Amino acid sequence: MEQIIKALGLNATLVAQIFNFIILLIFLRVVVYPHIVKVLEQRQEAIAGNVKAAEEERKQAEALRQSYLADMQKAREEAQAIIQQAAKAGEAQAQQIIEAARNEANRVKDSALQEIEREKEKAVAELRDQVVSLSILVADKIIGKQITQDLQHGLVKEFIKEAGDLPC
Amino acid sequence: MKSLEEVHKELDVWGFLNYGHHGIVHTPIGEVDLKTLVMTWIVLGLIVLFTVSAIRNARVDRPGKLQLMLEEIFQFLRGLVYENMDYKKGAGLMCLIFTLFIFLLFCNLWGLIPTMMSPTANVNTTLGMSLTVFLLVQVLGFRYKGVGFLRHFVQPHFVFLPIIIIEELSKPITLALRLYGNIYAGEVLIAVLLALFGLVVTFLGGFIPSVIWLAFSIFVGFVQAFIFTMLTIAYVSQAVADHH
Repeated sequence: MEQIIKALGLNATLVAQIFNFIILLIFLRVVVYPHIVKVLEQRQEAIAGNVKAAEEERKQAEALRQSYLADMQKAREEAQAIIQQAAKAGEAQAQQIIEAARNEANRVKDSALQEIEREKEKAVAELRDQVVSLSILVADKIIGKQITQDLQHGLVKEFIKEAGDLPC
Repeated sequence: MKSLEEVHKELDVWGFLNYGHHGIVHTPIGEVDLKTLVMTWIVLGLIVLFTVSAIRNARVDRPGKLQLMLEEIFQFLRGLVYENMDYKKGAGLMCLIFTLFIFLLFCNLWGLIPTMMSPTANVNTTLGMSLTVFLLVQVLGFRYKGVGFLRHFVQPHFVFLPIIIIEELSKPITLALRLYGNIYAGEVLIAVLLALFGLVVTFLGGFIPSVIWLAFSIFVGFVQAFIFTMLTIAYVSQAVADHH
């Protein structure tokens, strides 16, 4: 044993080295170690916080996107509705205009027909007058008999009335 | 070609070998290796400087380079610890694992500075570390399992007791000697490469093996610190695991 110790050169340095090491251990434990652990923990917490915040923000962004999409959809539907309404209104207006035009045309046509009727009646009346006058003239000539103008006129008129309203 | 002793003497620009008997000084606690202790103190100072400047103005949103380095080391180790044991037990162990890794890493790399020495190139340092870990494993085992912790000595059968005792004792010894061997061998090879070539040859390209070896030693320093830490985690997780 002596020889082994001598050969290896073992001496009290061993004790001193253990003492040195323990001193270093205490120093690092008191001064350095808590700092490292603290910093690492804080960094871990910070990273975890960042990840959490990012997740939160992602969720918010998703919600925002959804609401924007919904808004856009709504706006599109409203626009569609407005266009449809406008088209319907236009159609109705067109219908109205056409109806008015048709009415106007009918009115014009009716008044024209009435005018024609009136003119026709007037012509018929005039014709009757002329027929009466001509008849008188012819009767005058044929019978050569002088009847008073008024009497004759009354006779012929009566005759024509009796003959009825024959179409001429 | 010079002997290793001569090279060490030439490299001893700080005069550590002049104190005591070849640098071994008598103190109230016994004989101590002065150079190793002084180097350890420097390394402790460097660790304090590094960690304090890293956590000074520590920011959550935009960490500085040093802070990021420290945090990366911490998170890497925390990943290892949490892979091997449950969170509650692991959280209490984190600070020790962190300190162990940083200390060993700085010790290993400090020896690469010219005229400096790795505290871990002295078997006292590594054995001190591994004995601390050994004690820690036993203490944690008793703390989490009570007297039932002793049962693993006689499992699966009583006849295995001597083997298991040897296994338990070999853990701190291998842990210490692995680290010591790697780092000490690295330092020896640095010295050997310096002594191998004369001045002219060195300037004609003899420095190249040294440079390559120094670069490799950086890698070795990281790997050994990692192995020591990883094995510590493994031993502790074995001792505190619920199933057995």
